[in-house]
Order: sequence, then C-alpha cells, then structure tokens
Amino acid sequence: MSDEVQLVMPADPEFLRLARVTAMGLASRLSFTIDEIDDLRIAIDELVFGLIGTAGRPGRVTMRYALQDAGLEVRGTGSFEDGAATPGLTELSELILDAVADEHSLEPDGPNPTFRLLKRRSEA
Amino acid sequence: MAFDADRRRELREMFTAFAASRDEGLRATLIEAHLGLAEYLARRFSNRGEPLDDLVQVASTGLIKAVDRFEPERGLEFSTYATHTIVGELKRHFRDKGWAIRVPRRMQELHLRLTTLVSTLNQDLGRSPTVAEIAQAAGVSEEEVLEAMEAGQAYRFTSLDAPSPGEDSGTLASSIGDEDEKMVDVEHRVALSPLIAKLPARQQTILHLRFFEGLTQSEIATQLGISQMHVSRLLARSLAQLRQDATDEP
Repeated sequence: MSDEVQLVMPADPEFLRLARVTAMGLASRLSFTIDEIDDLRIAIDELVFGLIGTAGRPGRVTMRYALQDAGLEVRGTGSFEDGAATPGLTELSELILDAVADEHSLEPDGPNPTFRLLKRRSEA
Repeated sequence: MAFDADRRRELREMFTAFAASRDEGLRATLIEAHLGLAEYLARRFSNRGEPLDDLVQVASTGLIKAVDRFEPERGLEFSTYATHTIVGELKRHFRDKGWAIRVPRRMQELHLRLTTLVSTLNQDLGRSPTVAEIAQAAGVSEEEVLEAMEAGQAYRFTSLDAPSPGEDSGTLASSIGDEDEKMVDVEHRVALSPLIAKLPARQQTILHLRFFEGLTQSEIATQLGISQMHVSRLLARSLAQLRQDATDEP
C-alpha cells in the first residue's frame, strides 16, 4: 500500500498547522498512538521551519504524505522566490529529530530544498 | 493567606533590607514566603481551561516581578501590590494565549476531558492509546479528537512567556527545592544549550527526558505525575519558545 496525499501551502508558519493536522489525520488512519502522533507533529514543525525559517519566506512548500505499510513518509519541497539561503537544521533540531523520527534528512541546497521524514508505526 | 503581626513586621523589614541591598538570599526568601499567594490567585483562574500548574507558574512570575519592583517606602502592603501584579500577569497570560478566543469552548472542554481519558487509557492498555481508541472511549469522532489535540497546542508563543534571565531559573527553584530542578543533573545542564537553560525547570526536565533520555511522552507523564497531554503541551511550548529565542539572538 502506498497512497499519497499532497498539500501545497504558502511558506508561512501560519499554515504549518495544516501540515501538522494532515499528518495527524493520516497517522491516525495508520493507527499511530498519540505519543507517535505528537512525535510526528514535532518532527514536521522542525523540518518545515528548517525550510522556511521562523518568519517564513515568499514562496510555497509542497508536502507529500505517503501512507506505507510501515508508517508515514513525509516529504516537503520548497519553492521560494527570495533567493535566500535555506536555514536548514540546527544542532538542537537534529537532536530533537533523532528522538522523534525514525529517519530524517534535509537538503538545504539548490533551488528546491527538500526534507524527508519517516515515522514508523510501533508494533502494537 | 494571612500572616500574623510579627511575621508581617518581619517581612516588611526584609523588604526594606532587600530594597537597599538587592540581596539574592533575601529575594528568594521573600518570594518563597509569598508563593501561597501566587497559588491562591492562580486557583481563582483555574476554571478557564488552563492547567493549574501552568497558572501557578505564570502567577509565580508575577510574584517575582512584584518582589523585584515593590517599593516598601510607599507604605502600601506588599500583598495588595503583589495581588495587582500577579492578577495582571494572569490576565495577560490569557489574553496573549488568545485561547478563549481562538479555540471554541467545545474544543477546550473536549481537550480537558481527553486529558483525563488518555491517562486512564494509558493505564488500562499499558501503552499510549490510538486516536480511534480515544474517540471510542470519549464517544466522539476521530476528527474531533485530532482537533482537540491540536487545540491543546493553541499557544501562540509571545515574548511575555519568556522568563527574563534570573526570573524563573536558579534562585527561586533552588531555594524552594524544586524536584524538577534536581532531576536535571549538573552534567547535563552544562551540555544543554544556554537557550534551554532559560526555560522553566519543569520544561527543561521534560526536554531532557524526551530528547536526551529518549523517554516517550507517556513515560515522562508517569514519571512526573502529570498527564500525557500536559507533557505534550509543555513540549510544544518549549520548542516554540526555543525557536523564538533562537530567532531573537543577534
């Protein structure tokens, strides 16, 4: 099984909630526990902020949520109009993501910086 | 919260001495002596959908400001002055959170109901419950559960949340023997970023347990004797605060 849901949103923290709620809804479909859902929410915040910075930037972020047997894979791709450097992950963000995500990466370089996140479902 | 005449006189003398010396020990003693007032006032606001723990923390911040700013030579009773400051802090807390405005009352209530329910399910199942399990136990839809979970994070971080250096850190916590404070051991404190060190002790502890020790939110909740949803809220708030502080850094 690998269904995909896409969300295109302005690169503004105001819309981050949509990215989270979408992930939460899909994770719920996959029978994630609420501990896992909270982890997912934290991970998405860290990674999206890693793309757009805390103030946001002109442009948009395309979120792709892939429902897999093992869990939920989330990819975010930025399409920015400011030509500025992508903030990327701080040391603290890396630490947080190590704790809440099974796999994560963020590629800040290039015209379309991208992150990937995998959150596995625990064996109930 | 009433002191007898001797105690009142003693406290008044301490305030006069503190006004002159700004001695940290006196400050801690004065804060500690009035924590009951902060808690009493926090309780007055506890029916508005915010956990009492959080309100006590806000009220304590108000108390510390009151102790720092009180001018005994003006002849006003400290309790009068502090009540005004603490209530102001609590009101601002609600206003800044905008909780009552932006989150429908129905969702606030569901959020509070789920807080207890999740703890019960956690115990019954021996693990963190799924959204479907919570929805079934609460008699609401999964969407409503998700909405209520998100509603709990409806804190918009403002700089007013940030304790200024020295306000909610060492002095008060160590002088009243805060258990949370003890749990963050010295070694790790050193390793923590200076931004984390600015957070209230309990939030530091939760960050430490979640991200350094790898405990789950439910495990942290059990260890600290609070609900999983409270842990979730405090984590979300801490991370928002850290992000804000990192942005504010030159």
